[in-house]
Amino acid sequence: MPRRPSPSVAPRGSAALGLVAFLAVVAAFAVFPQFVRKPYVLHMGVVLFLAIVQGQAWNVIGGYAGQYSVGHAAYFGIGAYTTTMLLELNKIPPWWGIWAAIAAAVLVSIVIGSITFRLRGPYFVLASISVTEIIRLAALYFKGFTRGAEGFLLSEIPALKIGGAEIEFYTKRPFYFAALALAVITVGVNWLVEHSKLGYYFQAIREDQDAAHSLGINLAFYKNVALAISAAFTAWAGGFYAMFVKFIDPNTVFGLDVSVQFVLICIIGGIGTILGPVIGAMVLVPLSEVLRNPKGLVQLGLLSSDSRFVQFVEEHLSNAHMLVYGILVVIVILFAPDGVVGLIRSGVARLRRRASARERAQAATTT
Amino acid sequence: MNVFVQSVISGILVGGVYALIGIGLTIIFGVMRVINFAHGDLLMLGMYATWLVFTKLGIDPFVSIVITAPLLFLFGAFLQRVFINRVLNALPQNQILLTIGLGLVMSNSVMLAFTSDYRILTTSYSSSSFHVGGISVSQPLLYAFLITAAITAALYWFLMSTDTGQAIRATAQDRDAAQLMGINVRAMSVLAFGLGSALAATAGALISPTYYIFPQVGSTFTLKAFVIVVLGGMGSVVGATLGGLIIGVTESLAAVYIATGLKELVVFVLFLALLLFKPAGLLGKTRA
Amino acid sequence: MTKKLAPILALLALALPGAGRAAPVKIGFINSITGPEAPIGENLTNGVELAVEDLKKKGIDVQVVRQDDTGKPQVAMGAMEQLATGDEVAAVVGPYTSATANAVAKLAQQYKVPQVVPAAAKEEITRQGYDWVFRLNAPAHVYAQSLIDAALAFGKPKSIAFIYESTDFGASVAAAGKDYAQKKGLTIAADEAYQKGAPDYRSTLTKIKAQSPDLVFMVSYVADAILLMRQSREVGLKPQAFLGGGAGFDTAQFESEKDISTHVLSVTQWTPEIGTAGSAEFAKRYQAKYGKKPTYHAACAYEATLIVGEVAAKAGGDRKKIREALAAGTWNGIMGDVRFESYEGFTNQNRLVMPVVQYQGGRSETVYPAKFAKKKPVYPFPGWK
Repeated sequence: MPRRPSPSVAPRGSAALGLVAFLAVVAAFAVFPQFVRKPYVLHMGVVLFLAIVQGQAWNVIGGYAGQYSVGHAAYFGIGAYTTTMLLELNKIPPWWGIWAAIAAAVLVSIVIGSITFRLRGPYFVLASISVTEIIRLAALYFKGFTRGAEGFLLSEIPALKIGGAEIEFYTKRPFYFAALALAVITVGVNWLVEHSKLGYYFQAIREDQDAAHSLGINLAFYKNVALAISAAFTAWAGGFYAMFVKFIDPNTVFGLDVSVQFVLICIIGGIGTILGPVIGAMVLVPLSEVLRNPKGLVQLGLLSSDSRFVQFVEEHLSNAHMLVYGILVVIVILFAPDGVVGLIRSGVARLRRRASARERAQAATTT
Repeated sequence: MNVFVQSVISGILVGGVYALIGIGLTIIFGVMRVINFAHGDLLMLGMYATWLVFTKLGIDPFVSIVITAPLLFLFGAFLQRVFINRVLNALPQNQILLTIGLGLVMSNSVMLAFTSDYRILTTSYSSSSFHVGGISVSQPLLYAFLITAAITAALYWFLMSTDTGQAIRATAQDRDAAQLMGINVRAMSVLAFGLGSALAATAGALISPTYYIFPQVGSTFTLKAFVIVVLGGMGSVVGATLGGLIIGVTESLAAVYIATGLKELVVFVLFLALLLFKPAGLLGKTRA
Repeated sequence: MTKKLAPILALLALALPGAGRAAPVKIGFINSITGPEAPIGENLTNGVELAVEDLKKKGIDVQVVRQDDTGKPQVAMGAMEQLATGDEVAAVVGPYTSATANAVAKLAQQYKVPQVVPAAAKEEITRQGYDWVFRLNAPAHVYAQSLIDAALAFGKPKSIAFIYESTDFGASVAAAGKDYAQKKGLTIAADEAYQKGAPDYRSTLTKIKAQSPDLVFMVSYVADAILLMRQSREVGLKPQAFLGGGAGFDTAQFESEKDISTHVLSVTQWTPEIGTAGSAEFAKRYQAKYGKKPTYHAACAYEATLIVGEVAAKAGGDRKKIREALAAGTWNGIMGDVRFESYEGFTNQNRLVMPVVQYQGGRSETVYPAKFAKKKPVYPFPGWK
């Protein structure tokens, strides 16, 4: 029998506890920059939060609605390019530009959805990839519009004036807080989706499309809603990425490897759960950063500058993060298809069973 | 007119190699219903194996197929036994993700071992061509085409006339019925994946004199292979052959008559149209 | 805190006996160590190595902090950030490709770190008014003009076809080429930009052949240069001359492919026979140490590192002083007279004459301009054997 991701139902009462824990963690992250000297740490934080957003966004369509789109880079890229072009060509600052980017992505998602949603399973996957490749190749070709392979090097982001205060976007700090806010919002949206009627419809579609249809659920409509939500946040992440990294070209934002990464963050963490993408990001981001830039560990003060580990990684494992992603995905699919969250859950369930079995055994012997 | 004919000829020659890649993928899908996203990376491994044999042992790329094909057959069989077999009953999405993961491991391991420098094979005939009535026919591509034709014919004979070949076709047609008839479907799966890998590697060896070799070269070919397989009909060897030729010619003509930079885009648009309007392709699913 | 300590420490350092020996100066070096341009990147690495040796002989201790940009701009930017804020280097040499050099230039200006670009062609790099960025090599329009002037000097071509990769480098040189060709009254027979990584150019070359252009102008890195020429031979493309815009057309690997490189014209920033101070010795040393002929990339990287190393040591690693010294100084070495000037919209650009070479009998021979020419050019292209 094919294995499906376990339906997400958390026991009552733990909801309040969960919320408190969540707020505590967010507060910790918010206060963290006060104790930090090196900008590299904040940089890592931004990358982590961005990965969480990407994973959570994909989770809505892939995890809850069960439609594995491996072409989400389309929305990421549209977000990146729209925000960038509005800033560079029309001098519109990104906090306005991002709304245009999200709108563009949602529109495109409706078009893509209406084309591809009639396909099932692997054919849907292939179609989603094709659409994004078409967009990528078009972006490369229509140089007059997108500057083709040369891409955009972003100029300075103007300072944001709110009331009397002025927020500059020159250092990493404002990006850190903006990214944190974005991550919190997307986690919140996922929580809302999971606990709403919308979420139940999505999951019904995931479990058995035809049964859901026979119950009167409008498949096309709800799949498109899921995709639109997902596309909106993916585009938001894309626009943010462009402002942060300050360089985009069609291969970096529309590439297949970008789409695959979104899926991996979710799968490794635990698909169809709220914490899954967060955990996935927390596993993948530090790993890939260490492999990409082992000197970063020296900057963080965790290792000395002539550490053998740093030298080894630099010489033999540089840029091997995709290798690690690949290994992790293989392990997860084979042994833990519900990801880390799934592992934790089954581990907890096993402990509970053992505990209650022991209780029953004790109760039996004391009579 | 000359340009048109030249384009078509070049397209057919390249299409022959594409066909070989497609055949490998279609056999895998036909027998196991697994969408193998690592197919292009198997081709990449074939290219690197050919390059290694060429630079270290001095063996011509076309001749070295007798070494690289069996090698990759064994590798494919290994992949199937250890990894793919476990997900034969899983969600198709998970199967895809598994093969994506395996592909990532393959391409990145090669990158670590050989760096991502582009490698070029230089043989005595790498830039030679035959000139027939004003049309130039690339020598290495012609040899590749002829070898592909021979392999395809041999494969077709194998599938039609031998017991094992028919067992494979039976498994592809109806796995449960085949099992009931006493066919070891497990072994058939291993065989199919091994065969598919060997064919991908052979395709890699055949184009290595005219391409450059780098670890990420697989991904373009994987996507092209899918277009070919869907065009020809998943599971049909003849279909994949036709599909390969059609795609080769389409690309070639698109480069000349539309624009060089758009030739791949045209193929993808064609692919989308196929998926939407004729997903069974030219020759459907159940015929071999 | 460092602001107050530094002058005090500097004073103490001067006061102490034996303080004439300079402390090692940290220079960042961003390069395409891996990736598609790695074979060329290797030349730059070797050039830098030789320069460090020579600097040591002069008593200057340079610590080179290497960073691999894998040919990708965003990786180069990350590398630059690491060098500027993490390693806190005094100055940066590199990167190699036009795309990465342009991206890093932006950050060099932002972080106020002096950057010397050794071999990137894209015009804009020194047309943005960045006073912290200096370029040693000649920019794209010189590539194009030298090649077209050479062709016009050798014969009477009327039409020209362009085939180039659609990256910063390819697009920049091709654009300059198209511009200049039109100025000189040539008709543009074809304008084909190709994507890297999909090396089947037969159809495109066939299309170009159908136009019968007198000149075929190509801009590529190594792998594409070789494959383009191979496939040109296959389809029987026979213009009056093949013009190769440096980079891939100017490497030992291309030279060694005699079947396809013979009679191709290429433009270069430097040749071993150019006759500038120390060139011949440099070439001999390079050949002895690395077993192959140095390309212009090696020479550019060598000279850039020499200049930066000397200036940085004299300035005690102070970025501002280094910038001022670079802007004001003149040097004369294997790249001839070097001076970073501002003219015609360029800032801190060295004016370099680019000789044109032709591959004859498996060797590259300088054929233009007359003052550098060692051999007569073979023009028009006699055809494929």
